[in-house]
Amino acid sequence: MKNGAAVFLAVFIALGLSWCGFVLAPIHQLGGVKQTTVLNSSELYPIGRPGDANSGLQVYRANGCAACHTEQVRQTGVACDVVLTGAGKNPEAVSNLVSTLKLDGLAKEVAEAMSDKITAAGGKAEIHIFATGPDIRRGWGMRQSVAEDYLYDYPVQLGSLRVGPDLSNIGMREPDLNWQLVHLYAPAAEAKGSTMPPFGYLFEVRKIGGAPAPDALVFPKGSGPPAGYEVVPKPEARELAAYLLSLRLNVPVYDAPFTP
Amino acid sequence: MNHELKSSTQPDAEPTASRSTVPMWIVVLLLVLLFLGGVYFDHHSGWFDAQVYQPYASAEELDAYQPKSGAAAMLAQGKRTYDMICGVCHGPDGMGKPNQAPPLAGSEWVNAKGFARLAHIPLTGLNGPLEVEGKDWNLSMAPMGAALSDADLANVLSYIRESWGNKAGPVTADDIKSVRAALGARPQPLNEQQLKALAE
Repeated sequence: MKNGAAVFLAVFIALGLSWCGFVLAPIHQLGGVKQTTVLNSSELYPIGRPGDANSGLQVYRANGCAACHTEQVRQTGVACDVVLTGAGKNPEAVSNLVSTLKLDGLAKEVAEAMSDKITAAGGKAEIHIFATGPDIRRGWGMRQSVAEDYLYDYPVQLGSLRVGPDLSNIGMREPDLNWQLVHLYAPAAEAKGSTMPPFGYLFEVRKIGGAPAPDALVFPKGSGPPAGYEVVPKPEARELAAYLLSLRLNVPVYDAPFTP
Repeated sequence: MNHELKSSTQPDAEPTASRSTVPMWIVVLLLVLLFLGGVYFDHHSGWFDAQVYQPYASAEELDAYQPKSGAAAMLAQGKRTYDMICGVCHGPDGMGKPNQAPPLAGSEWVNAKGFARLAHIPLTGLNGPLEVEGKDWNLSMAPMGAALSDADLANVLSYIRESWGNKAGPVTADDIKSVRAALGARPQPLNEQQLKALAE
């Protein structure tokens, strides 16, 4: 081959540059992410998941949940509400002023100007900050996901396809353990029209002998096993549900601030 | 006929590239793309700051959007801590739970003029019989608030003193600091008499 060394050098430089862009730069940028604190507080964030939830992460992984569910919430904007916290000495003037102003969903500068107007009239106002965007509107989280959220998860189950909803905040959206278990056993029983496959093999259907088991699932009317039978979660189902309940995106941090 | 056949099987000599300069329009196009890329980078990269995500463009903008700790924000913070720690026993509505914790809503210990007695309970713990709203309780509480920072505990107590119909007024971080300083290193759980012996 003519110019073999030059071709090798060109390929080496091209691959080396993309390695720098895709591997070196992200490690340099995010490799040092550490535990942080909740905004305006000294509580630590994140604190590791409880043990059964950690095992649940492996069940989540083994069953390929990440093929249809993501764990990454996006935020397209940030907005402010001005909240009246005190009427002051002249409540009538303040309430007259407030009724003429638009106080919801403002940009930061506008919100500050409104707040100043209310303060000038003798009232007290505070600015509340909140995240906006389609994901936030669906209740998938109070804010976007940031690097700290995944600090103790291995491997991180980011997912890339949303056949089902994002699960970053499922522990807040459906905090009931029984709901989670029934939904895993028979998705359509809890979510009408759900296309999620049932994960029956995580459960044991058995004849009720004597008294029903205390941890048997409680089904909504019109679903569940035939009379005389009960559905009991296996340890895997229990761990998976514990993991799902530990997924919460409701803590304000410096990277993604909001007023709680 | 013969001539045509020959030309199709034996083409002319191999074509060669001539040494000519790069067309000017490609240079201009690349410079324009480079400029647009630079503008995009400036708006969206956050200069590789690990904490800056979209929609924030820079560390300064992110800093400007941090919520200020006004009174209402402190109460919201206090509610969050209450729901996580106190609410487990005292209930999210402050009504307490039978055989577990007395109510905080309307309690005379919460609604006292001063904060000192109330502030001692999460810092030292509480032991033995206690009368709340005319009912006798005999339980013990661990010093659940001892590990919280002054500011966090002040927020929780402010939330307790101003929620569910309580109107006792806020507690500041400095108040908690002074109470904590007077306690010493290893405070023992108090009982009702010791609590009543404290100044309000």
